[in-house]
Amino acid sequence: MGLKDDLERYREVGEQRRQDLSEFIQYGDLGNSRPDEVKIPIKIVDLPEFAYDQRDKGGVGQGEGAQPGDPVGQPQPQPQPGDGDEEGEPGEEGAEHEYYEMDPEEFAQELDEELGLDLEPKGKKVVEEIEGDFTDITRTGPSSTLDFERLFKEGLKRKLAMDFDENYVKEALKIDGWGPSKVFTWARENNIPVSKAWIDEAYEEIPRDERTTWKSLEDMEANVEETDVPARIRRDGVDQIPFRREDERYRYPEIVEKRERNVVVVNIRDVSGSMRQKKRELVERTFTPLDWYLQGKYDNAEFVYIAHDADAWEVERDEFFGIRSGGGTRISSAYELAKRILEEEYPWAEWNRYVFAAGDSENSSNDTEDNVIPLMDQIPANLHAYVETQPSGNAINATHAEEVGRHFGEDSDEVAVAYVTSPDDVVDAIYTILSTEEQ
Amino acid sequence: MSDRTDAKRIAKGLEEPVREAANLAEKFGLEPYPVNYWIVDYDEMNQLIAYGGFQQRYPHWRWGMQYDRQQKQGQFLGGKAFEIVNNDNPAHAFLQESNTLADQKAVITHVEAHSDFFANNEWFGLFADDPNAASMLARHAETIRGYMQDPDIEREAVERWIDHVLCLEDNIDQHRPYAPIETDLADVPDDIDVADLADQLDNLELSEEVKRQVFDEEWLDAQRDDDDVVTFPSEPQKDVIAFLRKHGMQYDEDAEKAVEMEDWQREILEVLRREAYYFAPQKMTKVMNEGWAALWESRMMTDENFAADDEFVLYADHMARVLGSPGLNPYKLGLELWQYVENSENRREVAERLLRVEGVTWRNFGDVVDFEEVLAELEPPDWLVDVPGHLDDLDPEDPRVDADALAAARAGDVDVETYPWKVLTYEGLVERHYSLVKPQNRGFLSRISLEELERISRYMFDDARYESVTEALADVEYARGWDRMREIRESHNDVTFLDEFLSQEFVDENNYFTYEYTYASDDYRVSSTDYEDVKKKLMLQFTNFGKPTVVVQDGNYNNRNELLLAHQYNGIALDLGQAQKVLERVFELWGRPVNLMTIVKEFDEHDIEVAKRRNREPEPRETGKLIRYDGDETSMEDLEWDEVEHLAATDVDYDTKPEDWLA
Repeated sequence: MGLKDDLERYREVGEQRRQDLSEFIQYGDLGNSRPDEVKIPIKIVDLPEFAYDQRDKGGVGQGEGAQPGDPVGQPQPQPQPGDGDEEGEPGEEGAEHEYYEMDPEEFAQELDEELGLDLEPKGKKVVEEIEGDFTDITRTGPSSTLDFERLFKEGLKRKLAMDFDENYVKEALKIDGWGPSKVFTWARENNIPVSKAWIDEAYEEIPRDERTTWKSLEDMEANVEETDVPARIRRDGVDQIPFRREDERYRYPEIVEKRERNVVVVNIRDVSGSMRQKKRELVERTFTPLDWYLQGKYDNAEFVYIAHDADAWEVERDEFFGIRSGGGTRISSAYELAKRILEEEYPWAEWNRYVFAAGDSENSSNDTEDNVIPLMDQIPANLHAYVETQPSGNAINATHAEEVGRHFGEDSDEVAVAYVTSPDDVVDAIYTILSTEEQ
Repeated sequence: MSDRTDAKRIAKGLEEPVREAANLAEKFGLEPYPVNYWIVDYDEMNQLIAYGGFQQRYPHWRWGMQYDRQQKQGQFLGGKAFEIVNNDNPAHAFLQESNTLADQKAVITHVEAHSDFFANNEWFGLFADDPNAASMLARHAETIRGYMQDPDIEREAVERWIDHVLCLEDNIDQHRPYAPIETDLADVPDDIDVADLADQLDNLELSEEVKRQVFDEEWLDAQRDDDDVVTFPSEPQKDVIAFLRKHGMQYDEDAEKAVEMEDWQREILEVLRREAYYFAPQKMTKVMNEGWAALWESRMMTDENFAADDEFVLYADHMARVLGSPGLNPYKLGLELWQYVENSENRREVAERLLRVEGVTWRNFGDVVDFEEVLAELEPPDWLVDVPGHLDDLDPEDPRVDADALAAARAGDVDVETYPWKVLTYEGLVERHYSLVKPQNRGFLSRISLEELERISRYMFDDARYESVTEALADVEYARGWDRMREIRESHNDVTFLDEFLSQEFVDENNYFTYEYTYASDDYRVSSTDYEDVKKKLMLQFTNFGKPTVVVQDGNYNNRNELLLAHQYNGIALDLGQAQKVLERVFELWGRPVNLMTIVKEFDEHDIEVAKRRNREPEPRETGKLIRYDGDETSMEDLEWDEVEHLAATDVDYDTKPEDWLA
């Protein structure tokens, strides 16, 4: 025991104490994470204590020219009288959260477990052919790849097949009235793999007086026991294994076609005037975990961010969730742009494609029916999804999601429609989307 | 701690600063415990910090957590561990080998002042005059490690038990001396004279608010109460851990009932209680203690050139970082308050002298006194400022000169260039460091208020009159500031310190303000810059470790052996979520259902809406609540007001929101 042990115990405890993943996605602070590193808060003050209600307590600050009524922002966590008298950096004591850091792979795995998802990413583009295991075999090759084990086994099999009880055959030659021809016929009938030449030779070697030792076959069989091959090998050992050229095999590596599991995720967001703060946050809350998840699932993930009002334009991730413009809404503009970008840069043969769009379902009249749905049909993708973020839940003329849903049907495995009215719905929406893709 | 040659070389280089810092501290009038310094490497330093300044603590994940944080800060924020000193006689302090010499010197001077504070502050005496802390904590570690390794005890059970008790770490009676539960309190020699104590408290000139909070009649009664045999507390008991240690049981899952605690469980309760009492004085004097250390550190480092010229920039940088961190910074608050105390005490001394000058009264003080002239008179003579340059002029008969040291210096045995203070006495040093004439304090004297002048003159003995300002100033006692500061550091804690010395002048000069949450705008707003308000909020933050007071009210609640805790409501509500979780822990230590009585503020949704529209605050409705945890689930029910009325303080108000502050 010692500090190392304490640290280990803390890690174990910390693991248990980190925020539940669904809770984190719905209500947690996503802003501390980066695209490639998910930070789940762990409550640092793990042990509860009798404490004042933070809001009710108020506090003291320091700063020039403060006037009653001035906002002070979030109150600085106030350093408590700590124990011990260490002097590190004062002010650090108030830090409230520690973070459990996970990479997108772990995030995807955890989300799979949490939601019971099972998305198996498909390999697409052949990036290279590599030599796999040395599992294929050929008859020629460098001697270093010779499969000696096989050669030995084959030799042994051959030996077993060719071997016979020499003594037994010799005894048969001692039967009165039997000559080499008769013995050969008998041997053949009894599946003894012996050659006529060997019999002739053996017969020559048997002294004349012994050639009539046995009165008949029955007499011999009664007196001589045939030993089978395994028993004989056990007794005499294998003096020679017949290695044959035709048994030689050389191993060579399997050629594996490696397909990279790469994915492009197109995030489309309505940035028109009706998309107020709350709606924007819901989009971010839904899209960000989706991005993490797909990034964690695929070897290589690329993201395209498209903002649109009546027109569409491509933006960087940093600005994507914050943009607000004034114009009207024409969702098809985003799909037109997505189609162009995907065709130019992410050919369907080589890329898994996910096209996620989000907005409040408001669209210019007939745009959904006349333009968006045909475009969705024209853009091949693993999955199309539309996420309606409508905090109030009811908006007149906001029918895009409904129309898309109706057109493609509930059972579609290529198009998902999800409705998010509050953070509570986010995890369900993510499940709806990720469980739609046909496996 | 280490036999590495590096450490030895460093230690060698620090021998002189260590020796001279102790000498200088003594010259300044401090009386520190002797300090043993240890050179440690970065990892060891982090480990010490994780362990709260000691080398051995009981096994627990929270040390691991602190270590982890400390390391991450070091990694990402460039956090630098500077100093650890623990309250012990001799004190032990740790220096990190990778620190610069300037840092080391800063640490050493800082440590000397801490050590003086430990040795002389009475609150530290409450635990023990000779704490022998390191070995006590090591012994605790040994005990608990033993339980964890005992094959008959499940390690997780020990850990959980520790967790339960730690939730109540601050629920002790920190204003009373520690006495182990095994011993009948009647046997403990009671060296507190109660009558004397009441007098002392009166002398502190505390506000009624603080007296009520901390030193109320009950407390005084308790001091008188010798046979404190609490069956089921006749008086509410603040030391919740002690109560549970005496009367608590554990809940047996299998038997589904409360059973006696195991010996190890009782022992752990007592071990953790003892540690809570040991660390309590440090928590209660954080502002004072850190301010004290920062003040003397700066006197030594800057004013007595402990930092060599080339080290000074590093040192200044270090100070700026320590004091410059955002939020309310207890180090800075403490330092500012001590400086304020020094200046105001010195100013009072000067004012008392000047008010005796013929023709000067509190009414005309500002008009007839030429402050520039006064400050010029108060300037130390040249030989006190530049000692080495005037070595031949020094008069060995002058009380400000240390005659023996002067002789040695003249003989070349004292390095007077580096340590000019060596040839001066305390009297010499107080004049050399006189606060009112320092550039940053030059406006302080002239800022004296009419009220203060009037108060001074009202209580002044008319025993001496002076013909002139010069004559009056010749009698000024330069030592008065430092003398008073040492008295204060003996008897005060943060609460009494803030209560007595926080003034409007201080709040204005240092730009403190209070803030409150507002429902109207759903954020925090500055609410006041009035010193009474600032004081209120600081009191709230430092009284009772900044935690609500929760006491044991009944150990046989409803005659069903249930525990009833009571939150003594001071107008600020509990964090109910946490309180419920604590109750679940307390259940484990009581073995039977536990209850908590409190008062909450409830707001009507409609009122909040209206308040937002009209830009004013909704009125809360204070309601009594009883929270109960029966081992299975938590329930909450409303109580009639008369059931909780006794918990509500009527004479305190921590709300600093002005009536129309958002208008």
